[in-house]
Amino acid sequence: MILEARVRHRFRGFALDVEVATDGPVLGIFGASGSGKTTLLHALAGLLRPHEARVAVRGRELCAAPGGRWVPPERRRLALVTQDPLLFPHLDVRGNLAYAPGAPERLAGEAGARVLEVLRLAPLLERGVANLSGGERQRVALGRALLADPALLLLDEPTSALDAELSRDVLGLLLVAKRELGVPMVFVTHRAAELLALADDCAVLESGRIAARGVPVEVLKRPRALGVASLVGVDNLLRLPVLAHDEAGGVTLLDLGRGVQLAAPLCAAPPGTRVDVGFYADEVLLCLEAPHGLSARNALACEVRALDRVGHELLAELAVGDASVRARLTPAAADELRLAPGTRGVAVVKTAAIHHLG
Amino acid sequence: MLSEAEREVVLLSVRVAALAVGASLVPGTLVGFALARWRHPLRALLQGVVMLPLVLPPVVTGYLLLWALGRSRPLGRAWHALTGGHVAYTTAACVVAAAVVGFPLLVEAIRLSMLAVDRRLEQVSRSLGRGPADTFLRVTLPLALPGVLAGAVLSWARALGEFGATIVLAGNVAGETRTIPVAVYTLLNVRGGEEAVARLTAVSVALALAALLGSFWLSARQRRA
Repeated sequence: MILEARVRHRFRGFALDVEVATDGPVLGIFGASGSGKTTLLHALAGLLRPHEARVAVRGRELCAAPGGRWVPPERRRLALVTQDPLLFPHLDVRGNLAYAPGAPERLAGEAGARVLEVLRLAPLLERGVANLSGGERQRVALGRALLADPALLLLDEPTSALDAELSRDVLGLLLVAKRELGVPMVFVTHRAAELLALADDCAVLESGRIAARGVPVEVLKRPRALGVASLVGVDNLLRLPVLAHDEAGGVTLLDLGRGVQLAAPLCAAPPGTRVDVGFYADEVLLCLEAPHGLSARNALACEVRALDRVGHELLAELAVGDASVRARLTPAAADELRLAPGTRGVAVVKTAAIHHLG
Repeated sequence: MLSEAEREVVLLSVRVAALAVGASLVPGTLVGFALARWRHPLRALLQGVVMLPLVLPPVVTGYLLLWALGRSRPLGRAWHALTGGHVAYTTAACVVAAAVVGFPLLVEAIRLSMLAVDRRLEQVSRSLGRGPADTFLRVTLPLALPGVLAGAVLSWARALGEFGATIVLAGNVAGETRTIPVAVYTLLNVRGGEEAVARLTAVSVALALAALLGSFWLSARQRRA
């Protein structure tokens, strides 16, 4: 087992009670904010002393509470990467990367060269950290953690402070790191698409307890888990048959049913097989009439099924072919378009906004 | 221009204040860190004890020091064993008085600058394999350094003006314990001393103002994570 953990902890009226064992290599922890994801990661990292716990990584016992073994965080070899990259502001990029014990030697050696290449860090080495972009900062944080040579990487929503494009970039780097460097990870996220893309195994956390457990694609299909997903306004996840490839046009056509086609980025799956694709509800534009002169490949006839208010936003559920697609919009926009269940319109999605998962 | 005696007074004051700050710097940094990070019921008590010289009448502080460093007290005996002499009425007594009275200002500046260091940086450091002492030296202290220096400058300025505890513990020995405030006090009682008082006052104001400005400049330089 890569990770065995049983953690019970209560504080300020919140109780965390989790038991999970996984062979990974990437365990996704999925849940809304306040579900206890960060508390769980801190308990694993040893930054919080749980009231009752047993944590073992690759058979090495790190913590048995109460009264048992306690390995302090610096000796656990579990490097933490958080939403906020938390680079050391008094060190430059090289100083941050070389922070962990042994990291200067690794940075100078072959392992370091691989990390620099995978995370595209070489051009940043001599820069200060203050003027890095958000994506660059997160890459440095990731490199710093990898150069600590962790037994397990703990990722606490590493993409959620980034805009959609950058978060896809960082997610891609995590995928490469997983494939090329073979580092096992515990990956906390509230984005279903990221869970599908990166995690091999997953646990859905709800108010401090595990509500569902298993392979991400299966878990996310269960209504209970999707209840969590809709809470945080996630995304469109579709499993669709491939109709045809247009290599010159750079698109793969997927079948949404009733003759409606979705143009996704070109992929290698043969026609007839099914592929998983995902896109954010933010990426869907709703029009009352078919727009002209549009660069987006997808202008799909749709009908509003339901409008759900989530905080200050509206999630519109649209019937497109046989599928259901969500679009996020403001109440003001919905008012102006006079949207109501039954309204017919056109859903516009850029091909580039659609991502192949898995 | 300053006379020979006045120059001696100013140099002694500057030296005493510098020694006082130098002796306080390491304990002050550790206490400031403990007060910033410690989550313990006894923290308030420790903070109270550290802050005490700020609100006690300096003369009372001086009396307490004189009592604690007396020949029959453990501290006084330890001093005697180390130096073969007694603290009272020596330059060392000036340094002790100045250090104790300047300590709260030093600790408070350090405590605030360490509170401003993001704790999560320390957590990340721990998870990257650096223990508590290493994390303190590599992350907390460098980030809080401008605040530590600002506190040092501020407490130096306070030490420079120390009078009440000094006069009790160190007395008024020319060349040994006669610092600027003690000299000014003495000269006020001497006929024709007004000019010397004016000169020493000017030096006092100049040094204090320079120290304050330096301290402000330093504390504005703390980097935010």
